[in-house]
Amino acid sequence: MTNTKVIIALGLVLAAVLVQTTLFQYLRPFGYAPALGMLMVIALARYLEPEQVLLIAFTGGFLQDILGGAPLGLWASTFTLVAFVALKVRDRQIPGRPVVLLGVFALTFIGQFTYAVLGTLFGQGIINRPGFIGDLLVPPLYNVILAYPVFWLVKITVRPPERSWTA
Amino acid sequence: MFPSGRRLDRSTALFVTLLAVGFLVATFDVRSSSGSVTTVIRSGAQTLVAPIQQGIDFVVRPVAGFIDGISNVAGLSDQNERLEAEVQRLEQRLLETAALERRVAELEAINDLAPPEDLATVTARIYSVGPSTFDQIRLVNRGSDDGIVIGQAVVDEDGLIGRVDLVTKSSARVRLITDPLVSVGVRVQDSNQTGVTTGRGDELLRLDMFDATQPVSEGAVVLTDGSLFPPGIVVGFANETKSADVGFSLRTTVDSAVAFSQLDFVKIVVGWSPLDADPGASDPLVDAPSFTDPGAGPE
Repeated sequence: MTNTKVIIALGLVLAAVLVQTTLFQYLRPFGYAPALGMLMVIALARYLEPEQVLLIAFTGGFLQDILGGAPLGLWASTFTLVAFVALKVRDRQIPGRPVVLLGVFALTFIGQFTYAVLGTLFGQGIINRPGFIGDLLVPPLYNVILAYPVFWLVKITVRPPERSWTA
Repeated sequence: MFPSGRRLDRSTALFVTLLAVGFLVATFDVRSSSGSVTTVIRSGAQTLVAPIQQGIDFVVRPVAGFIDGISNVAGLSDQNERLEAEVQRLEQRLLETAALERRVAELEAINDLAPPEDLATVTARIYSVGPSTFDQIRLVNRGSDDGIVIGQAVVDEDGLIGRVDLVTKSSARVRLITDPLVSVGVRVQDSNQTGVTTGRGDELLRLDMFDATQPVSEGAVVLTDGSLFPPGIVVGFANETKSADVGFSLRTTVDSAVAFSQLDFVKIVVGWSPLDADPGASDPLVDAPSFTDPGAGPE
């Protein structure tokens, strides 16, 4: 059962990355797209074991690296970092949905910023770009908008079954 | 936070290990040349993923078009007015074109340049973009089976789009001229002065000229000079009038001729060999094709 969930979770992340590179070439409000792969990793961090989340995040990030134009490993490292931070905060008592959405924004922002720093260190010149601030802020906003459908999808596919009175 | 300290330690150790692996792979990828293991990984994965991406693209394209159409209905009136103004402007430019064409032909004769329309091209459709806004790339559905090799120029009816930098049998990756890693040797049409444009991540390009004896006028046409890209392709239009600073160096910006956000079909110029094109590096997994003879291309 656990293996099945891991495979489904991995499939979800890979699908998110593929949708990111296809659907969002057409749907780019104001020239920006959400960071769907990262959002999926954040959502999965709520339900899976820490090691599983980290490995899935790294694999999803690596696929994103392969489909992108920057050196391999940058998105993999970024997704892993986002997953780790998400794991650190997931069991805290979170008072209300707005805070969850704020968490999604903050985690995506951390991911975008981390990638920008890593990309610049590895010669991509990201921080010097004119639209850099927009690149940091707008995808996290879109992720907040998409958070509920993505969280719902993850909930119905990989959430552990709740114990019933017969269990 | 976690049920046991042991679990926390394990996940932290795994996190550090994965980060180290990521940095190691990135360093190796940056330092390796084309044809290395990382290129093989990219090409192999691209070969596997391309059909899936093209399938998703096939499904979402009409849906996205429909949504786009609905969202545009409100703006149709404004768009109509803008188009009318555009038609008037274009009619004005048509009057200027004849004179410009004569001048271009004259300049091309002087420089022994082939006009770009004489070059053999392969038409390709964009089916995927980079996974983030940081990536200035497009994936197209033509590959080495269609005569595509690394280094070939990619254009559309408006001008230069970019350069092929990864090829599989059935797909290719195009790095746009808006990428900060891409530089294009150019000349300004009205003064024939040369320079280099470099991407900035948006649709404005930075133009550097190191021996500018004349100013660059706003709207001046900037063309490829024929070093890495076929000569005479429109790159963009000077964004402002600017004179050289001390030492004849001039830096200004150029509006790219192509609307990169609206790209759909593109043409890959297969009938012209860039100086640094390396057919052997097209795809380590497949036999490299030779360049197509000019005029004998598929289109």
